[in-house]
Amino acid sequence: MSATMTTPGEFQAKDYKSDLKPIWCPGCGDYSVVQGIYRALAAVGRPPHEVAFISGIGCSSRIPGYTTAYGFNTVHGRALPIAQGIKLANPDLLVLAAGGDGDGFSIGGGHIAHLIRRNIDITYIVMDNQIYGLTKGQLSPTSQKGRTTCTSPYGSLENPVNPLLYVLAYGAGFVAQASPTDLAGMAATLEEAIRYPGFAFVNVQSPCVTYGEEAQQIKGLKAISESLSAIGHDPADRLAAMDLAQHYGEKLHLGVFYKNPEPPPTYDALIRERQAQLSQGALPKERILDLFIKK
Amino acid sequence: MAARIDFASLSLMDALDLAVLIEDEAKERYEEFAAQMDQHRTPDAAKFFRLMAVNEAKHGQELADRRSQLFGGVTPTVTRAMVFEVEAPDYDQARAFMSPRQAMKAALASEVKAHAFFVAALPSLKDAKVRALFEELRDEEVQHQALVKAELAKLPPDSGLSDDDFVDEPTAQ
Repeated sequence: MSATMTTPGEFQAKDYKSDLKPIWCPGCGDYSVVQGIYRALAAVGRPPHEVAFISGIGCSSRIPGYTTAYGFNTVHGRALPIAQGIKLANPDLLVLAAGGDGDGFSIGGGHIAHLIRRNIDITYIVMDNQIYGLTKGQLSPTSQKGRTTCTSPYGSLENPVNPLLYVLAYGAGFVAQASPTDLAGMAATLEEAIRYPGFAFVNVQSPCVTYGEEAQQIKGLKAISESLSAIGHDPADRLAAMDLAQHYGEKLHLGVFYKNPEPPPTYDALIRERQAQLSQGALPKERILDLFIKK
Repeated sequence: MAARIDFASLSLMDALDLAVLIEDEAKERYEEFAAQMDQHRTPDAAKFFRLMAVNEAKHGQELADRRSQLFGGVTPTVTRAMVFEVEAPDYDQARAFMSPRQAMKAALASEVKAHAFFVAALPSLKDAKVRALFEELRDEEVQHQALVKAELAKLPPDSGLSDDDFVDEPTAQ
């Protein structure tokens, strides 16, 4: 018997790991996130060729390349519209989108609302480190007020975006938060998000080891973390979720904030339904032009 | 959902499989750390992490051989999904431009963590053979700590200065 055992279940985490070596800074929280994603995908059990992983630009957006799924490292802030197009073109694919807080809530912030209102069946993972790390430490949309960076040398005057309230307010059906402080919990949360039939959002507090502040590193995050299930939060209670989400930046609540107990139909399901309705009275292809000719 | 370990119902075969998986995860993590150090041109720390990976692999193979002798090719019931950083160092233990001392301290912390895992599990175990195995594994973690401490002792005395004071920040990716 080899030291590397085969385990029950068709896919293992290693099946989703590509040969490409990550080039994140050692100690980066994103190493844990990609590990959590491997494990969540193994638990869901879809083969890598049925998974499409789309990202924007940033340190965290390198993540598709480190998986064996189909991947597209797109342009800054545009992961979501491209993921949406892929999902609608091939609804059978399991589509994941990922990026950082700058990618998701600054340049790409406008896209989130539209995927939520359409209820596109994708899982969006934001690796929130409160800084632009790839470009060496500028203020990002989730940076705390007063934060000193190279673009805010006297301290930021801006209030941060609250990613959790942002997506809850737009009506996302699944909203959760995870952190490398609890890898097992993160894998379980990501798995639950992937299994949710509709738009699922997971905010991962992923520390930037190079440009992040001391309080945002693992030790600091552990000190403020609290499991939502341990405090008895009911994930079906959207208002309670919004109440808890207000503590973003002060407390690190981990787990599922909100999961719609009665998920509405997804956009691609509605499209298929409409296509089925229209196809009943549809003309054969060679007579399509007849629709435009007055009789 | 990630399966949890039910220590009370753990059989000897399950326990051996679990021990193999724990070593396997640690081996992979040390290999990852070594690759990270290579990436950031820190060969001394990379060399030490490779040494740790080899040690974990060796220990894992010994346990796997023992399992094979006792239970042959019986399909395992425990899975890697049950093992989360028991002996593998946490990802945040790595740093760009780690000195050998920092690398060894990270490994030592992981051996201490693994020891704590076996100590914490012991009161829940019902099977006498499983208990004996866990006690053995717990004691081995103490030996591993001693080995890392011996490596630390070979280093020149700590200057007391922070290694971070002597390195450039990582370049943009």
